[in-house]
Amino acid sequence: MSMVVTANQLRSGAVVYLGSTGDWVDAIDHATVAEDAGAMQRLEAIAAAAVEHCEVTAVYAFAVQIVGGRPVPLTMRERIRAAKAPTV
Amino acid sequence: MYRYDDFDRHLVAERVQSFRDQVARRLSGELTEEQFKPLRLQNGLYLQLHAYMLRIAIPYGVLGTRQLRRLAQISRRFDRGLGHFTTRQNLQLNWIRLEDAPDILDALAEVGMHAIQTSGNCIRNVTTDPYAGVAVDEIEDARIWAEVLRQWSTVHPEFSFLPRKFKIAVTAAAEDRAATAFHDIGLRLTRANGGATGFRVLVGGGQGRSPYIAQTLSEFVPQQHLLSYLEAILRVYNLHGRRDNIYKARIKILVHALGIDEMRRQVEAEWAAMDKDALDLPPGELARIRARFASRPLPLVEWQDAAIDARRRADAAFARWEKNNVRPHRSAGRAIVNVSLKEPGKVPGDANAAQMEVVADLAERYSHDEVRVTYQQSLVLPHVAVRDLPAVYDGLVAAGLATANTDLVTDIIACPGLDYCNLANARAIPVAQAIARRFAEPARAEAIGRIRLNISGCINACGHHHAGNIGILGVDKKGTEHYQITIGGSPGDDAAIGSILGPSFPAEAVPDAIEAIIDTYLSLRSKPAESFLDTVRRVGLEPFRETLYGTGRVAADAPTKEPVHV
Repeated sequence: MSMVVTANQLRSGAVVYLGSTGDWVDAIDHATVAEDAGAMQRLEAIAAAAVEHCEVTAVYAFAVQIVGGRPVPLTMRERIRAAKAPTV
Repeated sequence: MYRYDDFDRHLVAERVQSFRDQVARRLSGELTEEQFKPLRLQNGLYLQLHAYMLRIAIPYGVLGTRQLRRLAQISRRFDRGLGHFTTRQNLQLNWIRLEDAPDILDALAEVGMHAIQTSGNCIRNVTTDPYAGVAVDEIEDARIWAEVLRQWSTVHPEFSFLPRKFKIAVTAAAEDRAATAFHDIGLRLTRANGGATGFRVLVGGGQGRSPYIAQTLSEFVPQQHLLSYLEAILRVYNLHGRRDNIYKARIKILVHALGIDEMRRQVEAEWAAMDKDALDLPPGELARIRARFASRPLPLVEWQDAAIDARRRADAAFARWEKNNVRPHRSAGRAIVNVSLKEPGKVPGDANAAQMEVVADLAERYSHDEVRVTYQQSLVLPHVAVRDLPAVYDGLVAAGLATANTDLVTDIIACPGLDYCNLANARAIPVAQAIARRFAEPARAEAIGRIRLNISGCINACGHHHAGNIGILGVDKKGTEHYQITIGGSPGDDAAIGSILGPSFPAEAVPDAIEAIIDTYLSLRSKPAESFLDTVRRVGLEPFRETLYGTGRVAADAPTKEPVHV
């Protein structure tokens, strides 16, 4: 299952995603997609270090499907977070 | 209204300074999130879906104009210019940065406000009748007792780490406008035969995944012993409430497990052993607090006014608003004005900064500097002279706040739901909007009459769905948002928990389902004055079940009229 790692920035609380170079990006389109357990473990290690360095908090991974080359969350909750806004 | 004294100001200022230090230590890494989380929650700061959320306490829903203006300023400077009034009579700001939180709390402290005890396993903000002090049917001003409870419960050392959160509501009127039966403790001020006042004490009410109607623990506790009696209840709960299972930790579960008679026996035994003099309100203190609520003398004003009579005749919209949103005041020539935050299509309970400032301006000019927040997520101007109603109405119209729907079908309670909340399973706001749009025609809503429609986005029931005449609960059904419908609930004197009608509906089918329920009611009511709730109680659930699930009626995959889009 394709997975993306997300968190909230510690200072601002803003939703961020773990990008390809180990940085945290605002847009899910720029998130790194882990396609296997090994890739997921590498992302989790980077995220744990970011928590340690007080960059982010509330880290977790969620499932996506790739549509047109872009990761799209499977759940409504993550689609709302990715939109960075309520649906209303 | 009550003004904080030096003790209150000092306490709040100290708390802000402590939190500023805690935030700095969190940002530097000295505190881990695990260590910091309980500290931020004790100051009302949650981490929600999009950002931090600050829940600001509005003790018993009473706001001064200076405070409301400050809330507007804060929302504009630190949020997105919006505030969300909640079913706890509080205000939530949904787009807060952690690093700004100490400055926000400082700005609140300057006007005697804070976010203490808006979260955590403590006694939460005490709620009361939004018409307290001005209602025609009250024995005393319930705000006085709410303030007594605020002072008693604030950073109470024995009750700061209870098994679970604890909510108290107090009312002193004939009609229960504070949903007391759905609280951990509900207090109904009453008068004994001899004329002395005291409290009927209800215990063990609540919503959430295990809804219960509170039961009577004592028919009459003399007012001078209220605090010691509450201490006795809290001590029994603190000792025996479950701490091993969060879902069974509320006092309602303890009351249910023990039975009300055994609960009463234990509370009475605890109370009998107490040094009541050490715990009850000191003599003179009640008088001191009461004096702080003494209203400025209200100049006598005439009930009848030629200008307002003319306006009623000439302006049907004004007449409708007056009929639906204005309530009698205990002083002749004055009225209580409900300011609806429920314009169909808008977010229930939301007010933008400009609207808050308009309400503050109107309160300053026409309502003795006072505003109330209702648990139904609207505002109240409690002291308006009848002759000023046209001016108040015009001011509200200009701000988009004159929706004439208080207690009607479009006056929907809705929690933030999955659009904002970390706990939610489904969205509540867009469903409320779709239903409100369906019934937006004012004459239609009036023809339906008084009805309470409540929506929660999860089983925690912040949207009070159990207590709705019609309740809607959002659930996650195999990854999609579905909505379970209940009918027959009531938050009032005839408190009741709604009954589930049947299988849940997808979001897009909910407005059709609600419309079908309403149409069934209209076809079955014995007369226009028979309310939805009375009709349900008379005819039972079956006609409504038949409407929703019988052949050819609303089905789970019914075509949509107003789809709910993401």
